[in-house]
Amino acid sequence: MPWWRSAWFDVVQFLILVGLIAWLAWRGAGAMGYRWQWYRVPRFFYRYVDGVIVWGPLVDGLLVTLEIAAWGMVLTLAIGLVTAILRLSRSLAGRAVAVAYLEIVRNTPLLVQVSIFYFVLQPLLGFNNPLWAGITCLGFFEGAFASEVIRGGILSVARGQWEAGSTVGLSRADTYRFVVLPQAVPIMLPPMAGVLINLIKHSAVLSFIAVFELTTEARNLIGDTFLSFEIWFVIGIMYLCLTISLSGLVGWLERRVRAHGWA
Amino acid sequence: MSRRRRRRGPTALDFVVLAAVLAAIGYVGYRVNSVLVYQWDWSAIPGYFFRRDPKTGEWVANLLVKGLTTTVRIAFWGMIISTVLGVLLAFARTSRRLLPRLIGWAYVGFIRNIPPVPFLFLFYFFISTQLVPMLGIDRLLAQASPGTLSVLRVLFGEIALIPNFASGVFCLSLLMAAYIAEIVRAGIQSIARGQYEAGYTIGLSRLQIAWYIVLPQAVNRVVPPLTGQLITLVKDSSLVALISIQELSFLAMEIAISERRFFEVWLVTGLMYFVICYSLSLLMRRLERRALAYDR
Repeated sequence: MPWWRSAWFDVVQFLILVGLIAWLAWRGAGAMGYRWQWYRVPRFFYRYVDGVIVWGPLVDGLLVTLEIAAWGMVLTLAIGLVTAILRLSRSLAGRAVAVAYLEIVRNTPLLVQVSIFYFVLQPLLGFNNPLWAGITCLGFFEGAFASEVIRGGILSVARGQWEAGSTVGLSRADTYRFVVLPQAVPIMLPPMAGVLINLIKHSAVLSFIAVFELTTEARNLIGDTFLSFEIWFVIGIMYLCLTISLSGLVGWLERRVRAHGWA
Repeated sequence: MSRRRRRRGPTALDFVVLAAVLAAIGYVGYRVNSVLVYQWDWSAIPGYFFRRDPKTGEWVANLLVKGLTTTVRIAFWGMIISTVLGVLLAFARTSRRLLPRLIGWAYVGFIRNIPPVPFLFLFYFFISTQLVPMLGIDRLLAQASPGTLSVLRVLFGEIALIPNFASGVFCLSLLMAAYIAEIVRAGIQSIARGQYEAGYTIGLSRLQIAWYIVLPQAVNRVVPPLTGQLITLVKDSSLVALISIQELSFLAMEIAISERRFFEVWLVTGLMYFVICYSLSLLMRRLERRALAYDR
């Protein structure tokens, strides 16, 4: 094979292309009169004041985003599980409520839902912190997608497995625990990782209401310092690290569940 | 299995769910009427759909209808641009050469792993200060004849807002292209290997195989998820309210603030989005059924 057909040459071309785009962006911004000031970025993470580390706005924002993600995941999984159970139940009212909830969530924009949670439900239910309006809204939104993942996972287990469970005398709950879930959970994990990654990505929409998460902090910093490119670039990398480490974690979990069974 | 199931009366869960729903409705009603003492006032809302022009006395569209048409226009043009970009990216990702695959992989990976909101801000900065002036939209609009302008008004909305509108459409299209690329790629890769080989055997070039054999079959499998993506596009078009594109959510926010009618305005806006998206999802279900029937 000639050298210009080898994979390495393609990788080199790709790197050159990426470098070229970066250089063009650099020069293009410079030509617009943009002054790159990367040296000012570290102090948005932390500063030394009298020998003590003071965390900067980006770290504060990251912590709030992580808090939203953690509580949001708990809520998403809980709402998803309840909705999936209602959807799979024999109860007519249960299925009707689940379907109505799913259609409302899937057919309205997240931004409108956030507004309704913040402007309508927050005074109505008496939350005193926009953070909680935001977290419940995200849980409510992603819960719909999580419930479809759970339902799909459970339905993907063949009917014969249920029958086998009852044949050997297991109760419905035991059939779930020992027969159905060990097979359904590995199927659910990859799409569930997608839902949780979406949760982190969608938490940026909360910058629309007064929640001081990563994107809000970034917008405020840009308003103060006008370092738009540096800050959006750093923010992008921070989100990328979050989402990639989450998908790595779920990949590891999936391999573990497949190898050792669940629980 | 569900069809064969014997009809049963209401289960215990039915009563639990009904009780929970009634309790929730009762609690919300109690909070609204007794604790917040919220004065519902829907009287201002119809005026924001249509109003009477004080000079001519004719009925003209007001902010909510204008916002809705802008949203529909954004979705329409966004879908066209992002489908073209997405198909190109999908072919890049399924190419035999590594270089296009790497480019497609990097683009899709970046867009899908970083939240849309920071991307919108970044893209908006580039697009509104670089791309839109570079395309010379302002200059073209200044030279256009009245006839062209009226056509443009139907296609893109108010003339003065076209640069603003174009920035919103481009920003959303760049985001959506990554998702559409994945849908189209799945469609292309679902075509059996034998189809390509059959193409080679009768002496077609790679381009001819793509055009005459792969695309027609992939289109059938790809159209239902693309409709789903159109729903996502309508919903995500609300995000461009953050970069001050004057579509439905942005105008709703303005009305809510100026009228101080947050409950009514946001509920009506939510309902408007729901009507569009729900009718699209009914359409999607029909298309899915047809695609299944065709594959069989």
